[in-house]
Amino acid sequence: MKLAILSLLITALAMAQTNSGDWTAYGKNSFGWRYSELGQINTANVSRLAAQWMYQTNMPGKNETTPLVSDGLMFVTGPSNTAWALDALTGRQIWAYRSSPPAKLDLCCGPVNRGFAMQGNKLFKVNLEGMLLAMDPKSGAVLWQTTLEDYKKGYSATAAPIIVKNMVVTGMAGAEYGTRGFVDAYDMETGKRIWRFNTIAGEGEPGGQTWHGDAWKRGGASTWITGTYDPKLNLIYWGTGNPGPDLDGDVRPGDNLYTCSLVAIDADTGKLKWHFQFTPHDVHDWDAISDPIPMDLTINGKTVPAVVQANRNGFFYALDRANGKLLLAKAYTKVTWADGIGSDGRPILISGHEPSEEGNRTCPGMGGGHNWQATAYSPQTGLYYFTSSEGCMLFFKTTQEFVEGQWYQASTGSRDEPGSGLVIGLDPKTGTAAWKFEMVSTPTSGLLATAGGLVFGGDAQGYVFALDARTGKVLWRFQAGGTVIAPPISYSLNGRQYIAVAAGQTMVTFGLAK
Amino acid sequence: MSRLMIVLLLGTLCRAQTNNPFASDPQAAETGRWNFRIICSPCHGIHAEGGRGPDLTLGTYSAGDSDAELFRVIAGGVPGSEMAGYAGRLEDEGIWRLVSYIRTVAKHETSAPPGNAAAGAELFWSKGNCGACHRVAARGASIGPDLTRVGRQRSSAYLRASVLTPDADITSGFNTVTVVTRDGKKIQGIEKSYDTFSAQLMDLSGKYYSFLREDVTSMTREPKSLMPSYAKQLGETEINDLLAYLSSLRGQQ
Repeated sequence: MKLAILSLLITALAMAQTNSGDWTAYGKNSFGWRYSELGQINTANVSRLAAQWMYQTNMPGKNETTPLVSDGLMFVTGPSNTAWALDALTGRQIWAYRSSPPAKLDLCCGPVNRGFAMQGNKLFKVNLEGMLLAMDPKSGAVLWQTTLEDYKKGYSATAAPIIVKNMVVTGMAGAEYGTRGFVDAYDMETGKRIWRFNTIAGEGEPGGQTWHGDAWKRGGASTWITGTYDPKLNLIYWGTGNPGPDLDGDVRPGDNLYTCSLVAIDADTGKLKWHFQFTPHDVHDWDAISDPIPMDLTINGKTVPAVVQANRNGFFYALDRANGKLLLAKAYTKVTWADGIGSDGRPILISGHEPSEEGNRTCPGMGGGHNWQATAYSPQTGLYYFTSSEGCMLFFKTTQEFVEGQWYQASTGSRDEPGSGLVIGLDPKTGTAAWKFEMVSTPTSGLLATAGGLVFGGDAQGYVFALDARTGKVLWRFQAGGTVIAPPISYSLNGRQYIAVAAGQTMVTFGLAK
Repeated sequence: MSRLMIVLLLGTLCRAQTNNPFASDPQAAETGRWNFRIICSPCHGIHAEGGRGPDLTLGTYSAGDSDAELFRVIAGGVPGSEMAGYAGRLEDEGIWRLVSYIRTVAKHETSAPPGNAAAGAELFWSKGNCGACHRVAARGASIGPDLTRVGRQRSSAYLRASVLTPDADITSGFNTVTVVTRDGKKIQGIEKSYDTFSAQLMDLSGKYYSFLREDVTSMTREPKSLMPSYAKQLGETEINDLLAYLSSLRGQQ
């Protein structure tokens, strides 16, 4: 008993000492707001922001990581099963981790990784071949590792896990290879699986009637972007990807649950609490994987616990996060396939937008609208920030047989005109944009909001930029020399605020010029 | 050690296979088509007729015409170009199936263009003044696309459209950028680089410019060509001669 009290005291002490300037989770808080309370860098002085250090990873491939910062160290994951601990003050390497991926991996979109999860004395990451690892932050030593599912059957993993209670919760990737998606929870100490939620409803299960024959076995609904957690409701929110095959819906008649959906999972049991399917029977590859962001919204004078998402299908949605009921849906970009969203949450379809052998034009394009790039929410401005690819695509369909290990997408989408991009600051209470920042190419990076009244992002041409969070006006920019695909983060060390982001093969950190 | 050597040798031999093992399998081309549409069509077009990447229906290819050469290019890519290697994404069999598909779409333009290539060359360098903007090997200028290998990269139909209506399709990186400066001066040229915050361009005299968006009145990029149409400048025979010359440009072998 005395020991228990002592341990509680130590825990309380440890929590009190936790540096509030650290960034220790993919989305910063469990709601995934990506909002830094640090305001030292603000609208008045951001023009003095200057590079402080750079670290060259020398690893080719897209760098999509959200770095974590804790106790003076920065933890960065890279492509092809790599990771580093860097000194957050100077960028000097403290340790490096590398594990060779299998020679043949079924990856739709490159050997990427989006970051660590962290709790106490452990780091957690996935490796491409569908592995989950626990590592020692002090040395990079692997403490345990476990296989999510067999990579030879098309399964892979790329997302950052999240911590929920004593569990590390992770998704998978591989909906282009005839897989069946899931969200898994593992014991942080042992790596033993506690529960699995299958994101494809199987035969005889609730929702199983939305499939025909054995199409569900290759149904997809991968979970390749990190979910969020509401401790009060004890619910985990996770977005799911496209049905398989992506563009040929003929082989999978029905709504295809729970593809292109948001699922709310009971954290203790792993059972479904509710689901909301944004795009029933999707044929445009409109994954619903954008971060599901819990926030409380006052709509018509009533405060509702909501969860919001800028969906790839072109609509912004706000749902009641206790029960999944639709609160609001509004197009944020040009949409030609649906005439709004009905009160039942289903899109009001406009005919003639099925993909075809020779191509059929639909807006938005295959990647959306807004794709996976991290979004941000600022409680200071009340605005929700996300990027959008503007423009349409030709959607092609092919009749394709399923062969294990063979890309099962049944054709593709392609642009017939150059695309452009937007950063949008949107009022989530109304679904109306407060401002739009125009970019000449389609967006690549995620976003960060700060208490300094700023939104940070980057672009395909290598710029890192800061916008006024209230107006969208550009206040600062820096050419980093490599495409910015990752989202920026912010941390403080020795009383100084920093902004850090991966650009090309470089980690670059900024601070106010002294 | 010797066992390792044998394994390595065997590996090399397998990769160096010269003939398509699926050459006589009609299903291989169809399976190859599935992957072509997903992986290759964004650059080579949904019917392999080219776009950002070369037209593959010509039946003649920049990196060589044999099965083994096609395999090597798909597996390893073309250094210095936008063509990536796919050995990490496709097994050898998948690459051979792509080769099978590419063979089925080849039209093999056997009939040479009706014009006279020698007369076309004369036109290109004199009356047409094409060399003021285009380069063929060491001769000409670097304002428009380099035409050294254009006979391998583009069909004669594409080349005809380019000569008659240059706006029909703009080679990537050759859009027109127009900048209006604060003092009202309009500068127009070919895009060298263009982003949200700046523009770099070269005008038709070869002069290079760089501008920050915040320093100018306006900055735009349009998918149109600064090349004049030759529909009225040249007669039909002359156009045929010019096309015969362009089709004959196959680079140094």
